[in-house]
Amino acid sequence: MLEVEAVVRRFGDLTAVDGISFEIAPGETYGLLGPNGAGKTTTISMIAGLLAADSGAVRVLGEQMGPSRVAGKRHIGLVPQDLAIYPELKGRENMNFFGRLQGLGGKELATRVDEVLDLVGLTDRAGDPAKEYSGGMKRRLNIGIGLLHRPTLLILDEPTVGVDPQSRNAILESVEALSGEGMAVLYTTHYMEEAERLCDRIGIVDSGQLQAEGTRDELIRLIGGLDRVRLDGSGDLAAAADALGGLAAVEQVDADRTGLSLAVRDAPTAVAELVTRATAAGVTLADVEITRPNLEQVFLHLTGKALRD
Amino acid sequence: MRTVAAIAGVELRRFLRDRSNLFFVFVFPLILVVLIGSQFGAGSSSGRVVISGADSSLRSALVAELEEADVTVSYAAPDAASEQIARGRVDLGLELTDAAAAAFDADEDLTVVVTSSSSGGAITTRQQVDRALNSLQLRLRQEAALVGAGADPAAVDEALETAGSQVVAPSVTVTSESSVSEAFAGASGFTVGASAQVLLFVFLNSLAGSATLIQARKYRVVARTLAAPVAPVQVIGGEALGRWVIAMVQGLYIMVGTALLFGVEWGNLALSTLILAMFAAVAAGAAMVLGSALDNDSAASGLGVGLGLVLAALGGCMLPLELFPDTLATVAHFTPHAWAYEAFAEVTRRGGTLADIAVELGVLLAFAVVLLALGSVLLRRSLARAI
Repeated sequence: MLEVEAVVRRFGDLTAVDGISFEIAPGETYGLLGPNGAGKTTTISMIAGLLAADSGAVRVLGEQMGPSRVAGKRHIGLVPQDLAIYPELKGRENMNFFGRLQGLGGKELATRVDEVLDLVGLTDRAGDPAKEYSGGMKRRLNIGIGLLHRPTLLILDEPTVGVDPQSRNAILESVEALSGEGMAVLYTTHYMEEAERLCDRIGIVDSGQLQAEGTRDELIRLIGGLDRVRLDGSGDLAAAADALGGLAAVEQVDADRTGLSLAVRDAPTAVAELVTRATAAGVTLADVEITRPNLEQVFLHLTGKALRD
Repeated sequence: MRTVAAIAGVELRRFLRDRSNLFFVFVFPLILVVLIGSQFGAGSSSGRVVISGADSSLRSALVAELEEADVTVSYAAPDAASEQIARGRVDLGLELTDAAAAAFDADEDLTVVVTSSSSGGAITTRQQVDRALNSLQLRLRQEAALVGAGADPAAVDEALETAGSQVVAPSVTVTSESSVSEAFAGASGFTVGASAQVLLFVFLNSLAGSATLIQARKYRVVARTLAAPVAPVQVIGGEALGRWVIAMVQGLYIMVGTALLFGVEWGNLALSTLILAMFAAVAAGAAMVLGSALDNDSAASGLGVGLGLVLAALGGCMLPLELFPDTLATVAHFTPHAWAYEAFAEVTRRGGTLADIAVELGVLLAFAVVLLALGSVLLRRSLARAI
């Protein structure tokens, strides 16, 4: 559906995108994660045909993408990070205008606009100028415009920035529903939990390069994939450490004054056995805590910085 | 073409949706048409005179002469008259003293004090007052001559009336040698003001409206537009067409409005519309240049208003081109306004044909081509900046 092959884009001496390659299959939601300046937006601009690549290629359903190549753009729905709407025009007028640019017209356009207004929950406010909308409503209008022509690839560039929790959840549910209907989605975000919830595969971008790519579990395995378990308690902690260290799931055990810290494979499965063994070794437990590795830690491991740096 | 029309349509819609435009596009032009038309249009020269002094035969005779010349006469005490003159509410003040009235009754020489205001009509009104006073003076001398020749003073008035009614007034044809008066001949009512205001507001509002080009980039709408199956050349075409449509709407509104409200005659409508269409293309090109070269919409709006006013003043839209000194008139022709002004003058005042305005249309076409080409190049670059 989308093929990005070793694309490079330079701005003067700066190489904003340096040989990024990935693919998205139909119905797949692909997350592109990276800090500001990592090259995400430039990559998206090349995929959407707004910018030409200095080298490499982008194809959507086999169509080459580029500023003067119109055919491939018909398959793409772009939802920019900024609110790309005319504030002085009504919600319906905004949709009518961008629908016409996508080649819709007449009754087909009117019907589709009604459908999308309903989908994004703006039917009641369609006759109001967009500048009178709340931030969440503007975001929903922004997304709705990208859906008007039923694109096969929807590009969402940080669609939940500045959105209240309720609207944010509505947007995430919409994306899940669209993906469920077979639409391919390219999703960029700063919010790790959004990527974990929505994305089938994730690409981590930094300094214009794709640092790693895979499913959530594949990425976590890159940093060892071990869960952390903390057992707080009192008693014979040294004996308990010896007893737990012999279990197959346990990779490492450290005892300190107030309890035990363990590195464990698949902690949710192993935790019952850990508690049983520690208690049998004479420890009275006060608290048990499991910490699983997440994408934030993967990101930190791969790039040396936090996602929102 | 549908894409180009869609972009042009949304530009027009945004222009009309802007409430601040309502006054400057639809109300202000008509106000200026009235003001400038009343200053320079034919039939606009009826003066206003205030007279101070008691009722007398002198006052009655003078008022009769002035009213025959279409001068509006009012009366006030000397102090109030002075205030009206100082504030420009009247063009002239006449002080008729008791001594002057007595001298008039005694057929003797008399003195009338005339005070001019600073109003634009003071000079013309002074001529009308001088003519009225001369007429009275002639009458006095005729009476004195008859009395001196032995006529009965009581019968002199009747004799002069009888003689006047029996003499056929000689027919006098005046051929104006003044280029200025010739230039305004045929300019009925508010025609001069109307055509000037069409040019001023079409250009000024086009330039001020160029801010919407910058806003479209700022709102990121340009990026979304180019992500649709739309070629950059279609976006440029749509923006150019949108600017032209906005300029035409403004111009046609003033033309139709002044025709209906003030009876302005636009001559051959097809030719007047052609001049407007050509000038609107120039304005559209200038707006594209301004809106593409700048990245700050407030600056573009302010600069647009400033440039619009300066070019309009230089091009004969505030003071008629015919009143310009030669050097300034030459400079004026570096503006498209001057060429369009002359084309309108030819069509509306002198019944000019297409051949008569061919040169003016040619120059306007050249302006339009150069500005639209430059605007397209700059707009293309600005689109790249917007991504």
